[in-house]
Amino acid sequence: MNSALLQFATWLSERSFSVGLHESFYMYNWIETTHVMTLMLSFGMLAIVDLRMLGLAFANVPASKIAERLDKPMLIGFSIMFITGILLFSAIPVRTTQSLWFRIKVILLIAAAINAWLFRGYLLASKGSWDADAVAPRRARIAAGLSLALWCGVIMTGRFIAYDWFDCGGNNPAFIDWAAGCVAAE
Amino acid sequence: MLLSFFEWLEASSLGVFMKDLPATFAIVEAVHLMGLALLGGTVLAQDLRLLNVILRDVPSNVVTEQAHRWFKVGLWILLLTGVPMLAGVATKCYHNPFYWTKMVALVIGILFVFTLKQPLLRADHATLKPASLKLMALASMSLWFLVAASGRWIGFSG
Repeated sequence: MNSALLQFATWLSERSFSVGLHESFYMYNWIETTHVMTLMLSFGMLAIVDLRMLGLAFANVPASKIAERLDKPMLIGFSIMFITGILLFSAIPVRTTQSLWFRIKVILLIAAAINAWLFRGYLLASKGSWDADAVAPRRARIAAGLSLALWCGVIMTGRFIAYDWFDCGGNNPAFIDWAAGCVAAE
Repeated sequence: MLLSFFEWLEASSLGVFMKDLPATFAIVEAVHLMGLALLGGTVLAQDLRLLNVILRDVPSNVVTEQAHRWFKVGLWILLLTGVPMLAGVATKCYHNPFYWTKMVALVIGILFVFTLKQPLLRADHATLKPASLKLMALASMSLWFLVAASGRWIGFSG
């Protein structure tokens, strides 16, 4: 699978838009800045919803109201994150595909999405009984705490992609090369 | 005079600690980004509410009061991670125009929030002119965006 991914990344890296993004003087920086700035909208709104569930913010406003009203701005934020993220990946596909941090980030993103999806179902089914409570039930608090932790992990691993500590071809332990999916040069 | 302070800071034990291992800087930097998300999120929640874009059925007094508490938490996280980051690359920052842009915008932002915006918003918002609330929200968003974006740009122009 790693060689198939690498093959795709290599193909992508040869497209003119990938080369253009990579070589442009300012475009990459602007996309990267947009990606980071949009954290304020995506993670920012998410954090407010999670803090509400934990009873640490907006305790005097019904939990579902905060969750439902902030849903749209948060999803706008995550859409911008996704689009700029794809562009950032397209600019440096080969290295990113074989990045240990990028791989952990994708796993954390999938875990965060599953957690959010499960929590959404729980919220819709049961909100009537605890909506006005300052602190949400245990299950909602666990989901909120998990969500905050997973997204902090996403931010951290995302930032680490830029560092070359574990790049393929370096002097890495075999385990790291395996996890990063390094394909031996032919 | 100012340069010698930056040189002292970089040579201090904090500066040495931040430079010793590349991972130290990266971890502090990542926590700085988490603080940015929290501060930016609470700024957006307040200002977009004042502009009647989000949370329209929650009283704006409640939104600004609740969000400001976490704004302060975010600001503390940013300051407590920002100072060590500066210590690690102090002389580089001294010669970086984006660093100074950020510092000026940051000082104005802090003064704006604590001496103007929050004292005013503690009053019942119904007694304030809608136009001044909206102007204040726009000014606040622009200021904090400038702080954050020029901060990101320090790293590009090193």
